[in-house]
Amino acid sequence: MKIQVSAIALLALGGSVFAEDKEPKAKVAMDFVANYCFECHDDLTQEGERSFYDLEFPITDLKGLIAVQEIIDALNLGDMPPKKADQPDDKERLAAVEALTAQVADVYAGLKSTGGQTVLRRINEREYLNTLEDLFARRIDTFAPTRNFPPDQTDEHVDTIGDVLVTSGFLLDNYFHAADQVVEKSLGQIEKPELKEWAFKDSFMPGREMSFSHKAVFKNRYLCVYEVMNSSNHEGGYGGINEFKEGVHADGFYEVKVFAQPMHRDSHYDTDILKMDLSEPYRLGIVTGNGSIGELHHPQPIEPQLAEVTLKDGKPQWYTMKVWLEKGQQPRFTFPNGMANCRQAFGKIAKEYQNDWPDDDKHDGSIVHARRIVLKYGKMPHIRISEVKLRGPLYDEWPPESQRIVFGENGFQKENSKMILTEFAQRAFRRPVKPAEMKQFIDLVDARTSAGHSPRQATLDAIKGILCAPSFLYLNEAAAEQKGLLNAHDLASRLSYFLSGTMPDDELTKLADTGRILNRKVLLQQVDRLLDDERSEAFFDGFLDSWLNLRALGDQPPDRGVSGEYFYDDLEAAMKEEVKHFTRNLVETNGAITDFLKSDYVFVNYPLAELYGIQDQFPNDDRYTFQKVSLTDSNRGGLLGMAAVHTVSANGIETSPVVRGIYILENVLGSPPPKPPDEVPELEPDTRGATTVRDQLLKHREIKTCAACHVSIDPPGFALENFDPIGRWRSKYPDHRGRAGQGAKIDASGETTDGTPFAGPTEFKGYLMKRKDVFTRHLAERLLTYGTGRRVEALDRLSVDQVVKATKADDYGLRTMIREVVVSDYFLSR
Amino acid sequence: MRASQKSPSRRYFLKSVGATLSLPTLHSLLPDTLGAGSALAATISDASTPNRMVAVANLLGFQLPYLFPETPGKNYESTRLLKSLEGLREDYTLYRGLDHGVKGGHFAVHAFMSGVLSIDAKGRPDGNISLDQLAAESAAGRTRFPSLTIGSESGIHGGCQLSWTRSGVRVPPIPGPKELFERLFVGEPVSQLLQVKDKHALQGSILDAIRGDAKTLQKRIDQEDRDKLDEYLTSVREVEQQLQLKEQWVDVPKPEAPFDQPKNKNMVEDLPLLYDLMVLALQTDSTRIATLEIGGDFEPKHLGLEKGYHTLSHHGKKQENIDQLLVLEDYQIQQFARFLEKLKSIPDGEGTLLDHTSVLFGSGMSNANSHSNSNLPVILAGGGFEHGEFKDVPMERHKVPLCNLYLSVLNRFGVERENFGTSTGTFA
Repeated sequence: MKIQVSAIALLALGGSVFAEDKEPKAKVAMDFVANYCFECHDDLTQEGERSFYDLEFPITDLKGLIAVQEIIDALNLGDMPPKKADQPDDKERLAAVEALTAQVADVYAGLKSTGGQTVLRRINEREYLNTLEDLFARRIDTFAPTRNFPPDQTDEHVDTIGDVLVTSGFLLDNYFHAADQVVEKSLGQIEKPELKEWAFKDSFMPGREMSFSHKAVFKNRYLCVYEVMNSSNHEGGYGGINEFKEGVHADGFYEVKVFAQPMHRDSHYDTDILKMDLSEPYRLGIVTGNGSIGELHHPQPIEPQLAEVTLKDGKPQWYTMKVWLEKGQQPRFTFPNGMANCRQAFGKIAKEYQNDWPDDDKHDGSIVHARRIVLKYGKMPHIRISEVKLRGPLYDEWPPESQRIVFGENGFQKENSKMILTEFAQRAFRRPVKPAEMKQFIDLVDARTSAGHSPRQATLDAIKGILCAPSFLYLNEAAAEQKGLLNAHDLASRLSYFLSGTMPDDELTKLADTGRILNRKVLLQQVDRLLDDERSEAFFDGFLDSWLNLRALGDQPPDRGVSGEYFYDDLEAAMKEEVKHFTRNLVETNGAITDFLKSDYVFVNYPLAELYGIQDQFPNDDRYTFQKVSLTDSNRGGLLGMAAVHTVSANGIETSPVVRGIYILENVLGSPPPKPPDEVPELEPDTRGATTVRDQLLKHREIKTCAACHVSIDPPGFALENFDPIGRWRSKYPDHRGRAGQGAKIDASGETTDGTPFAGPTEFKGYLMKRKDVFTRHLAERLLTYGTGRRVEALDRLSVDQVVKATKADDYGLRTMIREVVVSDYFLSR
Repeated sequence: MRASQKSPSRRYFLKSVGATLSLPTLHSLLPDTLGAGSALAATISDASTPNRMVAVANLLGFQLPYLFPETPGKNYESTRLLKSLEGLREDYTLYRGLDHGVKGGHFAVHAFMSGVLSIDAKGRPDGNISLDQLAAESAAGRTRFPSLTIGSESGIHGGCQLSWTRSGVRVPPIPGPKELFERLFVGEPVSQLLQVKDKHALQGSILDAIRGDAKTLQKRIDQEDRDKLDEYLTSVREVEQQLQLKEQWVDVPKPEAPFDQPKNKNMVEDLPLLYDLMVLALQTDSTRIATLEIGGDFEPKHLGLEKGYHTLSHHGKKQENIDQLLVLEDYQIQQFARFLEKLKSIPDGEGTLLDHTSVLFGSGMSNANSHSNSNLPVILAGGGFEHGEFKDVPMERHKVPLCNLYLSVLNRFGVERENFGTSTGTFA
């Protein structure tokens, strides 16, 4: 066994929690193993078939890693050294575990290193979709060509990491099918499709659950929508036209006219049963539906929202909307602020309001009867549609824009085939294309023409080829000519995917063509322009998903009984939107990133304000618009007060200080704890009320080796215990029967690693403010990682330092930080 | 109790279609449809009876105290959850103490058939390939479908996610009986077949073109990036091989459907039908490998239970929750037993279809209440293994990795390998 300081070990520095003083750590580990393990596990004895004689510190390979992990496990469990042998004292044992754990972390960092440059990066699924929308100037979420794609791999939630984004035969096959579909839909239609008209009235067959009552009460004359789309039973959330299963005959915009009436806004039924707000005017939405893939009253895999109107009270009126439909689709009507679950409401109302029903028709207890009597005699809120007219597709110009953008103003001309392809390839590859590079695609045209296809079809097929080519699918940054810097076009692409989530637009392309993008001042102007553009939406979505793992929101849904509003008020979307509004506001005002740690304001819509208990402060002019609201309660505010954070760090049912603690360490302080040892059993939640998680954890910490990590993990988790699994404030746990506020009192106090005691979230945020520079560094690293597609490594320290320094110098402004990220060597280099 | 009164299992049992059908296997169809000397015919017509492999797993595990008997060995006593398997006692083995030594709760369920977490796949020679996909690689081209993965994306963290390719990509499941039926039986009309052939030709030309583009790209980029580009080129080769097989299969008609195309209802009601279709898939030799994920779309409400599956799984040791879980777990095992019985009733070569099908059943979650992935529930049936035992495997020292069992299953299938995932040897 020997101490080795190798180049690999030095490179591996980045990413380790214990990056400082690594040599002493290696020595501590080695000495411990020599003193306490060798007696049995040396070359000669090899007790338990294990010899640690060949171990070389620092550990650099998998074999060493396995051995070290075994040693850590044995120490944690107190299994080793055996009773009869020399025993280390607690301090020694602790130091050894820490030193050995550091070895493990270093090996992992070393294995992940990409040598300080971005590995040829495939555009991920969302970037791919955005890029296709730009290439063909049309909406494509209405047919979702990537629905069969395997999900992209992420690294610490970041979905842009070059070496992690793999390609498989399966994915490539999917690219082929997606390209085929997108190209045929965008360019395949030669003649302008015939304009058709439809009218539906008098006969609307509902889904099977409602069929009896609608026939009995309405003679099927109405199409009715009762509840929100994500009700737990799907009986009345989608008004589809079952008489129009075949859908429209061609892609395009359609005019939808609907004769609709909001019913029973004055209903006297208990709103706790209805679970909707009757004080608001009803909203009528349209989503797509496809009669050939499943029931029209059920959710379908593709159902983007197409339009929405607010209904006027009183008599039925005509409402006109223009929506995009794909061939085979039809509009389905929705009720975004309808009841939470109409099946439950029908049942309860029939039972609770027995007096309302005539003597010879009292509720018999069955749900079928309940629906019938409530609809017949009662005042059930719903949207009633008595006629639907449909007309389209409407094309003002032919060829449509999707064709003009590819073929030019006059549409396809066969003598232009080569030029069309070259221009398309330049856009798709995001750089100038040499004639020689086009050869394989021209060959493709020839192959298809010889197979009997028209020049137009052959050109389309070559375009499909371009969309499967690596030059399109990968951000192929050119081998560096000087100092590893990106060339103009590659920089424009990197910047565009960073801040717009898609290919460079015309302005960026021009600046790349002239090389002016390489000028620092020009580059900074572009950062500002892109941040101010509405396409920066893609940045906020992509970055916040990557930094805070918000894409996992909803992966572990809360209980519908305890947290119904999460579903019927669509809180999941609202929570995400809150973080986005908060962040966007900081970008727009160049506000301080320290607001993420502590703020005296939030951005909320009305349902979220209700969740936070601040609905009284909500300026109630528009329930669905996000408003900035000042806080009086300092426990809210900042990331630690946001429901998105509380929800994504809980499992929907209960909270765990460990999971939340790790979340805060990872994503706010940038110091993830080492993986838990393999041999330690997980805490089993015991909701019978005998013990609290806190008690269990404190017990856990009595074991010295466990305490080593849990002293840093548990405190942030404890501080958040007052927030339930969806971010509501609570002062008591639920009792053993799950009733909110009936169980043990919550103790959110603790002590931070530096010994500062705190009583709850407010004080803990004070502690975070003291560590704001740690946070600043972490946020800078996340932005750099997300923007370039590679992890921060040891040699990047200088770049990160510069971003941190400049940000601090400008009062921690977020826009300043993003600007500094873009002009850093890190971002400008391969 | 509400749940038991409804006796949903019996209802659904009777509703399910397609008792054992006497369909000719694809084997016997081949000489008529293919030229005797065709490469495909040569590939497919093995002399011996082919081996098959089926894996079934759910997202949230089983209530182990109600699954595992007290007494190990041949004379184990039946338990609440084993009841429906009683008649098949000699056809399966129940294991206690097997797992992959991975952690992560829901985040580790996807390692059930690979033994490797997807995040740990990098750097491993086979990544986190699952045993069905590894088997499929060796069986590719012999059947119309190298493998069929059935299940859904819904549920916590995207469902069970059982099947993984060697490049760390999840195989997306076929969502329901409607789609599975379509794959198995719905043949394309001639005009469409010509279109399919033309699509294949197009894909072939595109593969040539993109390989050309990769070559030009190689000149533009660094050595580091070239390694990544190799991954792309490997994918191109994979697609090329598949394309060759697909081209050959175009001319072979699909077997005749024994009943009309079903509609999808919900995972609970569809479960028997999915099993029936799997039997048909094996029986017609449309595939030799099938995987079924019972994921988040298996909703207790369709069994008349009130709470959500995930909610129930966090039972907090409350008996009323556990009772409800038992109802739905019981249902899952009943349907599994029915599947085994069907396989057993179909003659195949010298024995029955079950004799030539290794059937794995279990979950990557052992105790959802604590999100534990240790001591997983595992059953192995059929496949010609010796059965009839409850094997209690030591959990502390001399632990046996679950991958050892998988390696035995793979070897039985005909994959000649000495290791799989985290295996240290074979075990059955």
